[in-house]
Amino acid sequence: MLMTRKSSNANLKRNMVLFGWLMVMLMAASAARAELLIRITEGANAAIPVAVVPFAESGVMPAGDKVSNIVQADLTMSGEFQLLAPEKMLSLPSKRSEVYFRDWRLLGQRYVLVGELTRSGQRVEARYELFDVNREQRILGETAGASASNIRSLAHHISDRVYETITGEPGVFSTKLAYITLTTSGNESVYRLQVSDIDGQRSKIRLESREPILSPAWSPDGKKLAYVSFETGKPVIFIHELATGKRTKAADFPGLNSAPAWSPDGQSLLMTLSRDGNAEIYQMNLASGKTTKLTNHWAIDTEAAWDHAGRGIFFTSDRSGGPQIYYMERPGAEPRRLTFGSRYNARARPDSKGEYVYYIHQRQNTFHIARRNLKTDEESIITRTGSDESPSVSPNGRMLIYSTQQDGKGVLTVVSADGGAAYSLPASEGEVREPAWGPISR
Amino acid sequence: MKGHERDTISTDSTSLKSPVVLSLALHLLILAVALAGWSWTNPVQEPEPRSIAARLISPEPEPSPLVDDQDQRKKDQELKEKQRQKAEAERKRIQQEEAQREAEKKAQELARKQEQLKEQERKRQEAQAKQKAEQQARAKEAARKKAEAEAKERERQKAEQERKRQEQVKRKALEEKKRQEELRRKEEAERQRKEEEARKAAEQKRQEAERRLREQQLNALAEEAKKAQENEARKQREAQAARAREAQMLTDSQKYQALIRERLSQAWYPPSSATENMTARLQITLLPTGELASVTLVSSSGNTAFDNSALGAVRSLKRYPVPDNRDSFERYFRQFTIEFNPQRLR
Repeated sequence: MLMTRKSSNANLKRNMVLFGWLMVMLMAASAARAELLIRITEGANAAIPVAVVPFAESGVMPAGDKVSNIVQADLTMSGEFQLLAPEKMLSLPSKRSEVYFRDWRLLGQRYVLVGELTRSGQRVEARYELFDVNREQRILGETAGASASNIRSLAHHISDRVYETITGEPGVFSTKLAYITLTTSGNESVYRLQVSDIDGQRSKIRLESREPILSPAWSPDGKKLAYVSFETGKPVIFIHELATGKRTKAADFPGLNSAPAWSPDGQSLLMTLSRDGNAEIYQMNLASGKTTKLTNHWAIDTEAAWDHAGRGIFFTSDRSGGPQIYYMERPGAEPRRLTFGSRYNARARPDSKGEYVYYIHQRQNTFHIARRNLKTDEESIITRTGSDESPSVSPNGRMLIYSTQQDGKGVLTVVSADGGAAYSLPASEGEVREPAWGPISR
Repeated sequence: MKGHERDTISTDSTSLKSPVVLSLALHLLILAVALAGWSWTNPVQEPEPRSIAARLISPEPEPSPLVDDQDQRKKDQELKEKQRQKAEAERKRIQQEEAQREAEKKAQELARKQEQLKEQERKRQEAQAKQKAEQQARAKEAARKKAEAEAKERERQKAEQERKRQEQVKRKALEEKKRQEELRRKEEAERQRKEEEARKAAEQKRQEAERRLREQQLNALAEEAKKAQENEARKQREAQAARAREAQMLTDSQKYQALIRERLSQAWYPPSSATENMTARLQITLLPTGELASVTLVSSSGNTAFDNSALGAVRSLKRYPVPDNRDSFERYFRQFTIEFNPQRLR
């Protein structure tokens, strides 16, 4: 009797245990039903492998760089892509039917660009297709044409399209650079304002002067440049219409007239004037010529720049004893100091998204370009060179150009915004300085 | 006997004066005898202390001096009694003879008187003689009766002795009986004791048996409990093993999750347009070999390039690292979701 009760108890207990396990299993099963979730929060810290297959050509192409080579160079310069050398390609397809995805996958490629150029009279037509190797899909297919003398523009256009298709960002390969060169022969110095493609090609001299030219600044529409010229013997701000070459004095006040910066709407210029005895930041309405004083401090306030939204203003001030970056939330508001930890932070240049601001940053007696995350205040140095100056951010915020010293000579270097890749522009004669990255012209 | 004698005397006293005197004398005699008897009995107690004294000085006490003493005393008493009785009888005989002589003297006197009165009282003399004869007869009778009584008394004493002897015998018998009884009682007690012992032994045996049984039951219970415990322990071990397997699977799963995460991270090129609040969710289905069976975008980031980069990353893996363990694979890796959400953009 006792035994049977005991065993029945044991049975009950066993059943309970079984039940418990069932519940656990069920819960586990339901948990399994809820599915495993793997969260990927970091991507490859590497450039995207892209194959740009040399375009097929029909007809005689102009001499010089081939379109596909320019596209390769563009994509490489961005620092975001790793281009497959054509000699490593297993085949050179120019249209979809010739693309064997397996081959490209074996080569580790993510995207393959194929195309064909056709010469028709003075024009060159390009038909190009971009394939996603893993998904085995065509993600871009277009035709574009240009005059035979302008195939660089065609190539940059294709680069922009490829870039935008893959990254979701507008490409900047068709934008322009403005910069100042200095050529010295004997005791004669010649300053030149030049405009070129962003790869430094097709540069054109817009202004030549024996006196210094400084601080070129692009109008938002990319049609005008503002700069400081000492041609009158003192610093004067000029506005230069690129299409016509027409120049106007925007600011010629007593004392210092410097550091022009366009408002996003192109209606006004920020500038530094010392007409009242001390360098302060002013806003000038270009239509009326009326100036508004935005800072009023015994220290030097200069190098103003609008933020991405055109609401607040970054500037440099030595009110703390040395140059530091300040920010005022709206013109005339009480400035807030942004940079600390270094005795020299200057020439702030914000990106177009409001995420970062770039500036010259002194560390251990050398000058680098630093990037500051405006949300986290995280600061990082993105240049490996020294004596770095004049940062200018690409309109898509993905690249930065600055001037630095190379072999005792000023050169321009393009880096990806995270500093991952650097690309020095081909050396031109003399020193190159004060680069300004032009806007995307639509 | 006395009453009868008195009755007789009283009847006699009413008839004559001389009988009254005679009876009175007789009475006196009897009283004297009784007194003598009483005075005799008194000193009888005297020898006792002597016997006790003798006992006191005797170097070794008699084994049963009390019984012997008693016997001796009794014998003495009997002897004394006999002597006394003998003396009594002698004394009585003398008294009787004296009385006889007295009476004869008186009778002679009387006879003389009567001789004088012979004529007058010849008849009365005759009667008197007759009466005298009768009286003599009666005295004789009385003597005889007395002798008889004495014989009777002797008889009685003898009987008494006999009775006493008998009583002694009886007592002895009784004692014997008592002894026997004692023996029997002892035997009985012994028997009872033995019986009790036997009963006790039996009881003990029974208890022992019960104890053994109980022990066996307890052992059985303990055995059962032990088995149950072992069973429980085994179950717990199994459960633990199951949990361990589960944990192992989870660990495996986590390991493979980490591997997949790593491979996908390496394979993912977040586009430059990516921002930290973009999230694309893809559900992927794998074959047990780790090959991708299918992938679907279940939640778009809102940015085509971002979605494409995620899809491209997922599709770029030729083989997913998955556990060989089929259960683990089925539970975690047959189908799962991958979320692309950049936290650290370049």
